[in-house]
Amino acid sequence: MNDRVKHIFIWPAFLLVLVITLFPLIYALTVSFQTVRIVPPTPARFVGFDNYADILANARFWGAIATTATIVIISVLAQYAIGLSVALALHHNVPGASLFRVTFLLPMFLAPVCVALIAKMIFHPVLGPANEFFSMFGLENLPFLTDPNFAIAVLIAIETWQWTPFVVLLMLAGLQNLPAEVFEAARVDNISAWRRFRDITFPMLLPLSAAVIFIRLIEGFKIIDTVFILTGGGPGTSTETLTLFAYNEGFKKFNIGMTSALSFLFLIVVIVFGTLYLAGARKLTQRYAQ
Amino acid sequence: MEHIEFRKISKSYGAVEVVPPLDLSIHQGEFIVLVGPSGCGKTTTLRMLAGLEETTSGQILIDGNDVTNKRPGERNCAMVFQNYALYPHMSVRENIGYAMKVHGTPKDEIDKHVDEAAELLGLSDYLERKPRNLSGGQRQRVAIGRAFVRQPQVFLFDEPLSNLDAKLRVEMRSEIKLLQRRLNTTAVYVTHDQVEAMTMADRVVVMRSGVIEQVDAPITLYERPVNRFVASFIGSPSMNFFDARIEAGVLMIGDQRMQLAAKDADRIGDYGNVVFGIRPEHCREAETASHLTFDVEVIEPLGSNTLLLGKIGGQKIMTQVDPRFIAEAGALATVPIDMQAAHFFNPTTEERI
Repeated sequence: MNDRVKHIFIWPAFLLVLVITLFPLIYALTVSFQTVRIVPPTPARFVGFDNYADILANARFWGAIATTATIVIISVLAQYAIGLSVALALHHNVPGASLFRVTFLLPMFLAPVCVALIAKMIFHPVLGPANEFFSMFGLENLPFLTDPNFAIAVLIAIETWQWTPFVVLLMLAGLQNLPAEVFEAARVDNISAWRRFRDITFPMLLPLSAAVIFIRLIEGFKIIDTVFILTGGGPGTSTETLTLFAYNEGFKKFNIGMTSALSFLFLIVVIVFGTLYLAGARKLTQRYAQ
Repeated sequence: MEHIEFRKISKSYGAVEVVPPLDLSIHQGEFIVLVGPSGCGKTTTLRMLAGLEETTSGQILIDGNDVTNKRPGERNCAMVFQNYALYPHMSVRENIGYAMKVHGTPKDEIDKHVDEAAELLGLSDYLERKPRNLSGGQRQRVAIGRAFVRQPQVFLFDEPLSNLDAKLRVEMRSEIKLLQRRLNTTAVYVTHDQVEAMTMADRVVVMRSGVIEQVDAPITLYERPVNRFVASFIGSPSMNFFDARIEAGVLMIGDQRMQLAAKDADRIGDYGNVVFGIRPEHCREAETASHLTFDVEVIEPLGSNTLLLGKIGGQKIMTQVDPRFIAEAGALATVPIDMQAAHFFNPTTEERI
């Protein structure tokens, strides 16, 4: 145990981790307690929790949390509901399943920036096909991107469109891993398709579902590119998400200290939402634990 | 009374016919075992009966009703699977009572039935456990309990004991048999293990490549196999076969001569070329015993008896002899052969003579 050789093996790895992951984190944490302005350059000054206090007192921060949470929660629920349905359909080999299997996955492979640009064209208030479609029902020139509620709805729709395939992919893998005999046993026992889903498929997929939703929640909170391109956070700050808020602080006002503090608050927000979610999910999965 | 009837049912996957048209009748309350080597179509046949596989052609009747195109749930069968197929997230109690619960049976009645089944199968102490926390034998008991509480018309077993260890297998064998007797429910049981087939069945169906070779009571299969395949498949250790010749009531293997039993001498005294079959346990002294000499290669003492493995002119032989029989590996040994228990097969058709 007292072999000195072990140090040779441990230290390089430890230092690497320290330099690559811990140092930036600690550095950012320090900066968050300072005022640092790049433009105009001012010397760093320690201000304690002032940055945090400022942000917490800022209504724009709370607005960003509400906007982000609305987009994330609604879109993730939609992604899961649609994704699981599609996965079930693909699993049961609906006609044309192999074609759908490929096409349904395509949105996921697009860069969010491209998706946002496409969406911007589609939802153009005058020229877009969405406008044309709704015009057929007498609803002309809907303010898709200029009315706060419409804009949020559009963002939710885009998030759902882009990330449902991810849910489909994982849920399909999960479905295909379930033991076939269990379902055959249920069929022989005259259990209807709906009860098979409700009592067997769904509970058996719960642990996976919990994980998939968790991944999507965490990823969803980072939403910035689509918002940046589509609405730029507007109208006003009504669609400004947390990351976009941080971006504006950092790269428009060049207030680095404030931005660092904001990043840590963002981390706390994600941890809070994540923990709440995991607590709920654990309760559910434990009831159906295997 | 015929309870289950297969009428010319067949199964093909694309151009590959795994079960050619097959006929079989099963009586009410009978315990039928389908047995055969892997890939002989026994499981496919069972699954067609359960409705889990569609039949390519033919009809299946249960209790006189054509169920060929009915869903599995409408056939009133209960099935026990090789991998237990328990609902992993449900307790033993929920597993056994699930079908009843879904079909709207009142709760006290479910509890009564579940408790009864658990009592019978020795599961009373495990009712609140999840399948994961049970041993293989206990899991299979739960699966049997689940089938049993439904009181179906037909029990279907798909190699239910294959995943259990040898000792447990012997125990469960008799338990399943007893349960079936008690309920007097028709049972169709699939296995590749001929010992299981022999010990449990009222009648055994021996299958090869989707074709039924013989349907008979276990003892008939053992004593009068219709062809060489059945003869080699049934019985353990399995039967010896030798290319031989019969002339003037005498059987000749190489230069060794053995006198046929009187009943055979009258019947096939001058048959010519035959395949001579003798079970290892029939290498014993008897009124009509002849003797056979062979090169001993391996001696396997099993305690109650000893197996001698060797060769006669390039043909393998295995005999079962008394533990005190004196033999030595590498030397010649002469064993008695009970010619009353000899079997003869046609060398080209392999049918019993």
